[in-house]
Amino acid sequence: MFSLPGASTFEVIAIWCVLAIALFGLVYALILRRQVIACDKGTDKMQAVWGAISEGANAYLRRQLRTIVPLIFLFTVILFLSVYIVPPTEETKVRFSGYSDESLKLIIGFGRAVAFIMGALFSLMVGQFGMRMAVQANVRVASASRRSFAEALKIAYRAGTITGMLTDGLGLLGGTIIFIFFGVASPDTLLGFGFGGTLLALFMRVGGGIYTKAADVGADLVGKVEAGLPEDDERNAAVVADLVGDNVGDCAGMAADIFESYEVTIVSTLILGVVLYITTGELSWIIFPLLVRGIGVFSSIIGTYLVRGRKDDKEHNALSAINKGFYTSAVISIILFGLISFFYVHDWHSFLSVVVGIILAIVLDEITKYFTDGHYTPVKDIARNSRTGSATLILKGLGYGFEVTVWQIVVIAITILAALLIYWGQSVVHVLYGVAMTGIGMLTLTGNNVAMDAFGPIADNANGVGELSHLDKDARKIMDSLDATGNTTKAITKGVAIGSAVIAAVALFGSFVTDVSKVQVQMGFEKAQQLIETGIRISVPMVFIGFLIGGAVPWLFSSLTINSVTRAAAMIVEEVRRQFRIPGIIERTKKPDYQQAVDICTIAAQKELIPLALIAVLSPILIGSLLGVEALGGFLAGVILSGQLLAVFMSGSGGAWDNAKKTIEDGMYGGKGSEAHHAAVVGDTVGDPLKDTAGPALNPMIKVINLVSLLAAPVLIAYQKPGTFSAGLIITGILCLGIIVGAILFSKRGGFKKKVRD
Amino acid sequence: MAKYLYLSITPEALIASMIPPAEFGAYMATGTKKRNRGQAIFFEVDLDKIRHLINTDYLDRRCVRQADGSPKHSVYLSVYRVLETIPLNAFKNLYLTTDNGIVLELSAAAYDTSKETGKALHLYQELCPVTPQIASKLTPSQLLKELTDSTKPIYLPKLMFVELRLDELATNPLTGSGEHLPYTSIGHLRDCLEILKNEEGKAMKTVQRFYHGSLLFRTIQSGFYVGDKENILFYRYPTMTELEDINYEFLRAI
Repeated sequence: MFSLPGASTFEVIAIWCVLAIALFGLVYALILRRQVIACDKGTDKMQAVWGAISEGANAYLRRQLRTIVPLIFLFTVILFLSVYIVPPTEETKVRFSGYSDESLKLIIGFGRAVAFIMGALFSLMVGQFGMRMAVQANVRVASASRRSFAEALKIAYRAGTITGMLTDGLGLLGGTIIFIFFGVASPDTLLGFGFGGTLLALFMRVGGGIYTKAADVGADLVGKVEAGLPEDDERNAAVVADLVGDNVGDCAGMAADIFESYEVTIVSTLILGVVLYITTGELSWIIFPLLVRGIGVFSSIIGTYLVRGRKDDKEHNALSAINKGFYTSAVISIILFGLISFFYVHDWHSFLSVVVGIILAIVLDEITKYFTDGHYTPVKDIARNSRTGSATLILKGLGYGFEVTVWQIVVIAITILAALLIYWGQSVVHVLYGVAMTGIGMLTLTGNNVAMDAFGPIADNANGVGELSHLDKDARKIMDSLDATGNTTKAITKGVAIGSAVIAAVALFGSFVTDVSKVQVQMGFEKAQQLIETGIRISVPMVFIGFLIGGAVPWLFSSLTINSVTRAAAMIVEEVRRQFRIPGIIERTKKPDYQQAVDICTIAAQKELIPLALIAVLSPILIGSLLGVEALGGFLAGVILSGQLLAVFMSGSGGAWDNAKKTIEDGMYGGKGSEAHHAAVVGDTVGDPLKDTAGPALNPMIKVINLVSLLAAPVLIAYQKPGTFSAGLIITGILCLGIIVGAILFSKRGGFKKKVRD
Repeated sequence: MAKYLYLSITPEALIASMIPPAEFGAYMATGTKKRNRGQAIFFEVDLDKIRHLINTDYLDRRCVRQADGSPKHSVYLSVYRVLETIPLNAFKNLYLTTDNGIVLELSAAAYDTSKETGKALHLYQELCPVTPQIASKLTPSQLLKELTDSTKPIYLPKLMFVELRLDELATNPLTGSGEHLPYTSIGHLRDCLEILKNEEGKAMKTVQRFYHGSLLFRTIQSGFYVGDKENILFYRYPTMTELEDINYEFLRAI
């Protein structure tokens, strides 16, 4: 089954060990699940609140599945048929020597389709299982908080770790299985795997982002601002939708997002690794990244298991316990990477690239923390500006949002420069491989990162359950401190998610150049016309046009998602107002109908998926077919640059406004009810859809566009030989344009009519 | 069923009720239908000590269970010059209510005037019967004496006020940090304090003529004072750390 010419015994064993570690990661997730499920669910009242959240979450997941499944089916067929336009690569012929061309097409077509389904399914599983686990955990954390801080922290973090280990385990499992079956031919199928994961991540991110902020903004506007109710007040009909939204956005959406970055970095590394393997004959180009991933999973298991609070911790310092686990994992990883490099690879280049990736993750964490944490100057400064009103507060937040963007892009540029220096004097492919390895290094601690992120909504929901079931003071204090820690960990992991998305996109960009060139060679292009020789020439007008349009796509995407949140939030406001008018709800003698708000958010989230997915999938085909492959490269550069800038700006500003509000609520400038607080609430409301909907949605969007470009490029090249004209491509381009315009109009119009129970 | 008597400070009124202080506070802040919101500050008053001052027949007739059996929330007994009429020995605990109905109970504490320091400037929000915000060189006890001195052409028989934070402005009005003070017109406050500091013989200066009915509880410095020229009742406001233990819900709401 495992066939790789020239593989040593160590390398064969190493691959099987990686597979075993991936499976062990999943078993570890299962063990943690059993531990969490065994904990008690508290009083009847707590379980009643939890039941409503659970019901809302399930309704969302069911509906999401119904929307996504037909699209998965459609893309599976397209991916299967794509092999009939572009013949299998030379490596495929080597791997499956002895098979006829028709059989090879069937093998690769089938492999690509199955890999796509696997990528999509794994991404879906990470999101859905992770979210279900978070919902299971919140009531148990609330219940444990009645007993001790240490127990509540343990349950919340271990439940988050389940999502982390699913991300790790499934990501590694998928890539390794494909590699074991396809060997050097794996790039042909890995793209399908990456595309499946990325497309699903786009759905989960966009859907989750719209849901969570429609519920949050709607609930806050009418509940807190208009009616003066406190957070998580049971009389607010949107309160359950808000709690469900935290899981949908920060758990399912974020986990799927990081999962696809995890997938895509390994996909691009293996694609580049195979190119280097063919050139140099060294298998370590392919085996080393898989080993690094295996070590990452192993060290995450150890690090996450070490996270526990002290029983006598009066300060409730959850963050130091979480950090301890994170840094333990980092140290173990670096030591093991060094050992593998010394004893197996006998070369420090790849090791250095991975270490640069880990450093990049830590630096991005620190930059994000500096600009969005209430302990540092920017957030304090924004909070200070609340004293002169919401306008100055918003302006300050915009200023810091712009600044954080600059520093993050500088750090990423330095990272790419580091890869260049590490592979100085070697080929472009080496440098791109170095960048991809940086991405691998950056996502080494994915288990820890996702655990930290999923911890956020679990702690937040536990606090909501505590509020709604009126738990005692000591329990509330514990949940408040866990919730505050969760807000910090969520903000930190957002920085990593965006950074990893960019590094993954740059690596994919590299794969695009090498892949296009490989197909050009196959198609008989002269050397001087191959992309690897010409490069992507921004001075060529067509390429520049592609660059400009690529730069605009993230803005279009953001515009549509923010408009969608605004529309859905307005519907929530109307619904909650309507229910407030029902006698008994405000007086607490009657329960609101929480399901109505859940339905509104669910429908609003799902209806935007198809138009936005169409824009992401069809825009590279449109550019590639009308302007050419090189212009498509320019388009990708535009998408990456503009997407990164916009995503970091939005999450930076939004996070800073959010924490400025929290700083004031903690007592600065008069606390709740002060003029400063009113200004900060405005800032937070503006920032919410930026940081939780539009910004995060750009991560998978960038990668979907990159992957579609990678998949479509060979097809485009087949019809774009120099001196030829293809009417088919022109028609395809015009068709794509028509569909994109239709999707934009559909989205702007508000999509489907509201279909909720009267 | 027990009857309670409350002296509401904002607005000034004597109210009888069948509901205990915590529920009464929530009722005052959010109303029966819970559709309203607004702070409430009130004392519980010892009924036995003012029985001679009120119409007990009216009280007994009106303050009874409602037709559906629920307790009577409020029966207004008086709305004018109430504070001055009620003797200080009838004042029981003070209750602060957030605009969403969370109540903090404060008990009267012994007030030691010897611990008052004379150097710093003060900021006071008068709450009843008049409501300007004033800056002053006077300590709380001195201010009370000054404003309730019946030998002066203008005086108040009794006064309730709260001392607010000035931070560094208390000693350095011009350049001291007002960083964490949420007052809307810090510049004007600095001017007032500077005038007080430099003008010999001037003890008080009005900062705001109107009280908007909403106190930022985090700006309270020492606590609430109520008294006349002879006596003073002091209701110490807890520190935020103390508040975390005493009434966590209240802390979360302010």
